[in-house]
Amino acid sequence: MHKVVLDEFRGYYSRLPAEQLDVKDFVRREYALLHFGDQKMIRHLKFGGVSELKRSLVEGVPANVYYSSAYYRNPQADDMNAKGWEGADLIFDIDADHIRTDCKDEHDTWACLDCGCRGRGFPPDACPKCGMKKIDTVTWVCEGCLETAKREIFKLIDDFIVPDFGVALGEIEICFSGHRGYHLHVVSEGVRGLTGDGRREIADYVRGIGLDPKEHGFRQVTGTGPIVGPDMRDGGWRGKIARAIYEFVSGRSQEELRAVVGPVVADNISKSREKFLQNISDAPPHWGGMRGYSLESLLKIANAAAREHVCNIDERVTLDVKRLIRQPNSLHGKSALKTARVSYSDLERFDPLRDAVAFMGGSIKIYVKEIPRVRIGDCEVGPAKGTEMEVPRALGLYLLCKGAADPRV
Amino acid sequence: MLTKEDLAKYPFLDQSAAFIEGYNLTLSDLSAPAYSGIVGRAVERVRCSIEGGVSPLQLGDPETEILSYPLALALVYASRVRWLVNRFATFEAKRCEELLKMETAPKLAEVAKASFGWRVGMEDLRLEWERLTFSLGMAEYLEVAPQFHSPSWKLTNKYVDRGRVFLDAKDFARLLAENLKLRIIRKAGEEGVKDFELPAALQPHLGGIAGLLEGKRQLYEDEFPDGLVDDARPPCIVAIMNDLSAGKSLSHMARFAITTFMLNVGESVDGVLKLFGNVADFDEGKARYQVEHIAGITGSRTKYAPPKCEVLRSFGLCAEPDRLCATVSHPLNYYKRKIRAGSGAKAPTGGVAPTREGMRREKEKEKERGREGGGKGAQGRPR
Repeated sequence: MHKVVLDEFRGYYSRLPAEQLDVKDFVRREYALLHFGDQKMIRHLKFGGVSELKRSLVEGVPANVYYSSAYYRNPQADDMNAKGWEGADLIFDIDADHIRTDCKDEHDTWACLDCGCRGRGFPPDACPKCGMKKIDTVTWVCEGCLETAKREIFKLIDDFIVPDFGVALGEIEICFSGHRGYHLHVVSEGVRGLTGDGRREIADYVRGIGLDPKEHGFRQVTGTGPIVGPDMRDGGWRGKIARAIYEFVSGRSQEELRAVVGPVVADNISKSREKFLQNISDAPPHWGGMRGYSLESLLKIANAAAREHVCNIDERVTLDVKRLIRQPNSLHGKSALKTARVSYSDLERFDPLRDAVAFMGGSIKIYVKEIPRVRIGDCEVGPAKGTEMEVPRALGLYLLCKGAADPRV
Repeated sequence: MLTKEDLAKYPFLDQSAAFIEGYNLTLSDLSAPAYSGIVGRAVERVRCSIEGGVSPLQLGDPETEILSYPLALALVYASRVRWLVNRFATFEAKRCEELLKMETAPKLAEVAKASFGWRVGMEDLRLEWERLTFSLGMAEYLEVAPQFHSPSWKLTNKYVDRGRVFLDAKDFARLLAENLKLRIIRKAGEEGVKDFELPAALQPHLGGIAGLLEGKRQLYEDEFPDGLVDDARPPCIVAIMNDLSAGKSLSHMARFAITTFMLNVGESVDGVLKLFGNVADFDEGKARYQVEHIAGITGSRTKYAPPKCEVLRSFGLCAEPDRLCATVSHPLNYYKRKIRAGSGAKAPTGGVAPTREGMRREKEKEKERGREGGGKGAQGRPR
């Protein structure tokens, strides 16, 4: 990595108050460092305290710093059995990269490594031309991506973590990852002992995997009798499905409904939309309060509506009982932004491209290879290609870390 | 209030342990003639679990019921046969579930608290056609429920509110019984239990149990015929192998699944590497290191098992599940069952040796066909 980046990273860690590196039960965590240019992490590190960690960061200037979601008896042991696992926080990772957003067309490109076919936007699973799955991507994040990720983290907290899992806001920590998304740590004692299987169930719950509306009360009494179903005030997915259907039916055009249940049923429901909505929001609800649709159509709507309420988490992170996760207030080696802690009450106002900026003042001269429009703090540049410019220090370091620019003296 | 009769029905309760301690007996003491009834009942419990019979509760003599339970467990653990541990645990769980189903709601809650320390809530949630009378902390629910594979047990499909999972009495009894099973099985791996030796005076009883087990050996032998039996492969593995044949680049999880599967069915490291030979980015040195690591030859020396069905499903690798898939939760179980089913038809005696031999012959034939036909299946493909 360029000397200027290493110098600035070292400067950041020298100035950082050590206590900002504290995490719950610090001495029971494994630490891992990844240095610029290295593929392999240095793992199984144990630090006696935050000052010791700070010293190591100032001396070594790693690109990325991780600590274990797990608590260990011997964090420094390199064999998992000898480490002595004693539980782990429950982690959720929301990454804008995994969410389809319209803005990706503006800033992301992909290329098939086999046939060279190229395109813009969200990368396909397989090359549309040759069908091979080796796709190279160049991705950027913009305000739009990060806003989508923020809405997703709100959904996670407001729709799942608090009402369904019963976790208090005081037992969660929210971090901007420093690049493309957010991490949510549930640090309550109650979740520490969860096994990988248990965590998988939680990840599946949030993603709506295996959700079956019939398990949540939708049935037809004796074949042709009235349809019964859940109440919007019910707990868990049961109530969520009922509310989702209400929202879906009230917010969709007739044409959109047709795409889900076919023309006849869609027209019937559209014609009596008000009545339908009134019926299903009654207490108790009257799912069979009018004619014109079958249980089967209702289930189709339920499934389509529920899909809009699932949360896009990276499930691999959640189900891992010993994940290495980014250290709060450390720098991200691909952005020079910091992994910033955000309280729930500040989250709405939080602007990651301003509030996670680690370098204030100063400017850097750089040569830009190719960039889309990029904003850091108040400064916006691009799209630009093959040009020299002088930019604020934080923006310059961002582009250098992304590999999209070289320093100029 | 738990009675002595309750302790006899549920000898795994904390109070049962306290009751037994009151007798101040060691295992060796039990070999005395005065306790032959207890020993007899313990052996009976184990025998019933092996043979699948019923073991009627003798409530007229609760002391014997209570005291024979830990001895039966001791016999099971001392046998060091994993199949027996699973079998006994399943048997006890079933017995317990039947009894629990007949209890009142407060008694059920009391048993749950006194056995596993569960914080049970008494509820009265009336839904259309069910009444949810219990609630359990989510973490406690998730300790056990992932064992069940029916969609109705998925957390996603449960009535959940503020960290509690709501259940009807039937499901609650089932969950409790399953937890008993899990505890019995997990305990077998604990220090002090895993190398547990029975006092010499009780050894003869163990001999008797070994005799009973001999007849069931075929059921619990875990060994597979050497090398892959193509016809027994589960659909997910077939799909991954097809992708490999097509030269497609696989996800990390797909590579891990196919590698662990092949190694676990007795394929060699070379056999596995041959599979990957078709892939464009194949680097033999790197691949060999990784496969050997997974085989437990290098690195941490842990031999990895393939991921279970649930994991494969989550990673989108569960492909066209068939009817047998619905009854298993692990691709190796599918393979094992298919081999057993196949062998039942082919081996007239149904013995173990002819079975494996039969499958091996099948495989040989398969190889022959592969060579003649220019490559069918994994073995015949040129590198």
